[in-house]
Amino acid sequence: MTLEAMDARLARLARKGDQRAFAELVSMYKDKLYHLAYRMIGNRQEAEDVVQDAFLRVFKNLDRYDENQKFSTWIYRIATNLCIDRLRKRRNVYSLDSESSEHEGLDGYAMLPSDERTPESELLLSETQKIVQEAMDTLPAKYKGVMVLRYMQDLSLQEISDVLGMPVTTVKTRVHRGREFLRKKLERKL
Amino acid sequence: MECKVAVAWMQEYLDGDLSGGDAALLRQHMSECQACQARYDALARTEALARALPFEPAPAGLEARILASLPKAGRRPAAWTGWVRRHPAISAAALFLVVMLSSFVTMWNQDRQLSVAGPDLDNVVIQGDKVIVPAGKEVSGDLTVVNGSAEVLGEVKGDLTVIDGNVTLASTAHIAGHVQEIDRAVDWAWYKLRSWFGTLAYGP
Ligand SMILES: [Zn+2]
Repeated sequence: MTLEAMDARLARLARKGDQRAFAELVSMYKDKLYHLAYRMIGNRQEAEDVVQDAFLRVFKNLDRYDENQKFSTWIYRIATNLCIDRLRKRRNVYSLDSESSEHEGLDGYAMLPSDERTPESELLLSETQKIVQEAMDTLPAKYKGVMVLRYMQDLSLQEISDVLGMPVTTVKTRVHRGREFLRKKLERKL
Repeated sequence: MECKVAVAWMQEYLDGDLSGGDAALLRQHMSECQACQARYDALARTEALARALPFEPAPAGLEARILASLPKAGRRPAAWTGWVRRHPAISAAALFLVVMLSSFVTMWNQDRQLSVAGPDLDNVVIQGDKVIVPAGKEVSGDLTVVNGSAEVLGEVKGDLTVIDGNVTLASTAHIAGHVQEIDRAVDWAWYKLRSWFGTLAYGP
């Protein structure tokens, strides 16, 4: 059975209420979605939130999953949209309440024992990686989705166009602009 | 070849969409044009660096949290919200009173339980699952909305917290504290809130 056929089968079972099938989908996609969300948002806690929300939406909307579409396309679309939403909201809320960005991570989030990563292990991240991630973080949201799908998930331009629901030519233009943007950012720093 | 063409072709090349013949022409140009060669090198390096970002696996425990967050069939509401649901006509009228009298209100709306907590709830308007602080009105402390959206045109003198919903702030809005949207699915903050919402909203 191909991976796609397996996904579709699991989705069908999950739709009928088979919790183990859904758990299987979670286990197959959680790392990919987390990676996608973390690279898009640049914040572990928010990336976790997005992944969790994405699965919740998948769960609630299984009956709306169109089997003519790849399951991966559908789940990537949901996760990418949630990331883009968050990036937009973050901009709006912070511009209205400039203090809140400093308090991100308070209100209990900082105390979550959710993640074994400590500040010390963060230091192990190479300086270069940090600079590249920072450059990614500054990409405007509309390029970011495209770039993250392209680089981190290694999707083809056609697949990205399916995920984002936009023409391949638009995806291509965004990849080119995103690449130029990153080049200019990194040129000065590396 | 003009540099402008070369620059466009570099992108195509990096997309894997440049034919062999054109790629040879591009290489030819770059061997003669230092600026284009440098630009291509920088682009290719950018590409390699971005692809080299390490894979970030999901943190331990996320999978369990995801599965635990899924809605359970047959989750039962607390007794009095059940009553509200069984008596929609009375509750619509009673709601106004509840809002007037209580600093906390909860109701059912299309299977989603909307709860609002805060002082001066007589200053807020509830429409469907939307909680509105109208222009010129103020809430003198923290305002918390669960399972609904908040639209603020007036003033909130404390924190605005929306759980499983979203926030819309008008240009006239003024929030003295912090604005936070929480996905209940996740959240530690949710459990903290739950303790003071108590059993009233969520039942035994
Ligand atoms: Zn040239």
